[in-house]
Amino acid sequence: MKRSLVVLLLGLIMLPAVLFAQGTLNVYTIMPEKYATEIFAAFTADTGVKVNFIRLSSGEALARIVAEKKNPQVDCLWGGPADTYEAGILEGVFEQYKPKEADAVPVKFKSADSYWIGIGVIPLVFMSNGKFLKDKRINPPTSWEDLLNPAYKGALQMADARTSGTATERIYTLVKIYGEDGAFAYQKKLHHNIQLYTKSGAGGAMPIATGQAGAGVFYIVDALDIQQQGYDVVLSYPKEGVTYGVEAAGILKGAKNLDAAKKLMDWASSKKLGEVMVAKKINYIPTRPDVKVTNPNLDMSKVKLLDADIAWKGKNRQAFIERWVNEVVQQ
Amino acid sequence: MPSNITIEQPPAMNSSKAQRASLIRKDPALFSALIAIWLSLAIFIFLPLVRLLAATFIVNGTLSFANLSKILSKAYNVRAFYNSLILAMAVSAAGTLIGYLFALAITRTNWPKPLKWLLSAITILPLISPPFTSSISLTLALGPNGMLLKALGLGQLNFYGFWGTWISETLTYFPVAFMVLTAILTTMDANLDDAALSLGASRWRMFGTVTVPLSMPGIANAILLLFGSSLADFATPLILGGHTFPVLPTQAYLQITGLYDLKGGSGLSFLLLVPALLVYLFQRSLVGKRSYVTITGKTGARSQFSHLPHALEIAVGAVSIFISAFILYLYFIILWGSFVKIWSVNNTFTLDHFIYVFSHGRKAITDTLKIAVVSTVVGSLLAVVIGYVIQRKKFAGRRVLEFSSMLNYALPGTVVGIAYILAFNEKPILLTGTMTILVAAYVFRYYATGIRSVIASLQQVDPALEEASLSLGASSTRTFFNVTVPLIIPAVLAGMRYLFIHCMTAISATIFLVSVRWTLLTTRILESMTELQFSQASAFSIVLIVLVFIADALMLWLMRLSTRKFGTTQETLYDNTGA
Repeated sequence: MKRSLVVLLLGLIMLPAVLFAQGTLNVYTIMPEKYATEIFAAFTADTGVKVNFIRLSSGEALARIVAEKKNPQVDCLWGGPADTYEAGILEGVFEQYKPKEADAVPVKFKSADSYWIGIGVIPLVFMSNGKFLKDKRINPPTSWEDLLNPAYKGALQMADARTSGTATERIYTLVKIYGEDGAFAYQKKLHHNIQLYTKSGAGGAMPIATGQAGAGVFYIVDALDIQQQGYDVVLSYPKEGVTYGVEAAGILKGAKNLDAAKKLMDWASSKKLGEVMVAKKINYIPTRPDVKVTNPNLDMSKVKLLDADIAWKGKNRQAFIERWVNEVVQQ
Repeated sequence: MPSNITIEQPPAMNSSKAQRASLIRKDPALFSALIAIWLSLAIFIFLPLVRLLAATFIVNGTLSFANLSKILSKAYNVRAFYNSLILAMAVSAAGTLIGYLFALAITRTNWPKPLKWLLSAITILPLISPPFTSSISLTLALGPNGMLLKALGLGQLNFYGFWGTWISETLTYFPVAFMVLTAILTTMDANLDDAALSLGASRWRMFGTVTVPLSMPGIANAILLLFGSSLADFATPLILGGHTFPVLPTQAYLQITGLYDLKGGSGLSFLLLVPALLVYLFQRSLVGKRSYVTITGKTGARSQFSHLPHALEIAVGAVSIFISAFILYLYFIILWGSFVKIWSVNNTFTLDHFIYVFSHGRKAITDTLKIAVVSTVVGSLLAVVIGYVIQRKKFAGRRVLEFSSMLNYALPGTVVGIAYILAFNEKPILLTGTMTILVAAYVFRYYATGIRSVIASLQQVDPALEEASLSLGASSTRTFFNVTVPLIIPAVLAGMRYLFIHCMTAISATIFLVSVRWTLLTTRILESMTELQFSQASAFSIVLIVLVFIADALMLWLMRLSTRKFGTTQETLYDNTGA
């Protein structure tokens, strides 16, 4: 009797291991959950393919995918900066696939070797709290140098480079503007005005919206989201310019639902994805030039956009993060 | 053919081999149970730990300290190590002090019953919430431009870093000290109070020379428990620590998730493992010596505890009421945030966030409940078997079994989580992405409370009852189910209660183990917080707290019912929170 109890116990522990769900698409999304939910709902409506997903930060997603290389838990990675994908290619975790309408996507928004396809473009932007600016009697920042103003002391929140793609994008921009040593010298000075380095790229947006912090650097998609919710925030661009992130999507090597994964990539390269984003006010600039964007804030004609090669980003990411931790955070 | 002599058997003097042979023959049920227990411990406790040590100390196939020295060569990591210890000391000191004041308020005053009830009810709130719940509202209250700071006209507090983390962890963990100390204060002999007073001591002198010295074991126990909890806490410093106050669990997490450096993360968690184990061993030896002294029922009539000196009673009242009000205020912010449209901008009432939680979050809710229920059932069955074997049977390696079975409990959650990915990510035991890995992480970590309460309860049950059953011809298995189990049911339920609470609220180990198929409410709350969805994070928290509260009340009711039915008076101490 006790023996059977023991068998039962072990059985109970092992049972769930054999119960695997099949026939749906499993995805890690770096794109925020609220957007992914809407986009995958539209994809399911179009194709009938159901999507299971979990949201992870870009560093976390890559760490998991690399750790699970021998037994991939998901079929696709969705969203997140393309340099994360480039880093993943070096680890050998992505599968090559050229989506049906990939030719309609400009060259700089897709992988040269068809490992990933761009699904949205997002430049960096400054976001400040309106009341904070008024109280301090300062104008919205229009230069990176403005953020060094002592008025911002202890009032800036921006992302931590160890966990956030927004933060690495910020470093890429600064390196493009000041050169590598100059960029880190600048950040050491900037560090004195920092209230908090947040774990996720958007983490500082709500504190700025509610006045807990004064200003920060964000991807446009996060900043606009806060503005659309009705908070008193001001968006502005630095005159030296900003780099932009290309949000990507790709299939993992060893994907268990390969056909469904290809369907998602085909759908992502079509106009449909861009149209869903425009309709749902998900503020990525679509990678398809033929999708009409209605939000004037996404008009980039007056913004100085700096080009940064994605392969260069991927190659330097790790070294920049380590330098950031060693020189900026630990000073 | 089970025998009735196993219980009476004197400590074995013969060689272990002969003993083992005789064990198979004499008590085959025990033998197979032991094999099953050791096998499950090998898989779910030793294997992960060995993999963690290997990842830390083996470089290119040879033993090496290169990983560790690389970690220790970075000043930031060394600072994280010291910070962890400093924070743990500060939290355990403050938490124990507050817990003691609350316990005095409950046990040594003649305040009205409803007030006492309210005070103890409020201390339950932090226990049944995820460990980082208070950090959301604490930021809004005391953070930069915080509401409370503004309302009181105070300047800025240096919130992110030590202060915020310390305040938040103290509020989260002091209820543990409160429970430990209330138990010890109520089990003291009140006649000693009378003796002191009738010998002419003042109330102050009595308090200083009787109450405090007799509380010492409880105080020491509480300090160690809080020290361990704070050392292991990962979510609070992740949210409130900022860059100025790195601690080891968050550094390990960032190393893995940010730099995808599993080796560095393992090394950092190894640094955490050493002080955690030391504290655990120290606490075990302390409690081990003392624990059963206070449970003996007094037969003589009990006199009333004398009350606190007047000035002290006022101080106790002021502190406990102030802190209770503050906790209520923090939870009120969360409740309010879950019902208004856009926090602090549009304060119209809405149910949208709860609709979101029950539509988009339904999977997280059902997954969490399923995992918690399965873990609770499996965990308490295992706890009964292990506790029974340890307390009632004699075999070689009994102490080792007891220690090993509780090893995961002593380790910080981050360490367990990292060790589990290392161990179960590859064949032959491939469990990542399954429910099993989550259940196993919970079971082998939190069944410890169950094991302890089963052991404690068995110590109070006279073996003569079982012997009677055996000598009347029942098999040892039948005796176990028909005599032993009913007698210890209240203890089992007490263990189940805490197991369930932990499964619903813990995050530090399982944040590494959630997958597309199995997700948890706590990770969804953390996720909502990083996605600026304060209202949804609040709604998720409220739902979680209500669920735990209902389940907890249900189990408490069952406990009372079973206590009445089976007549054992069994008090089990809640002895660790294990974030």
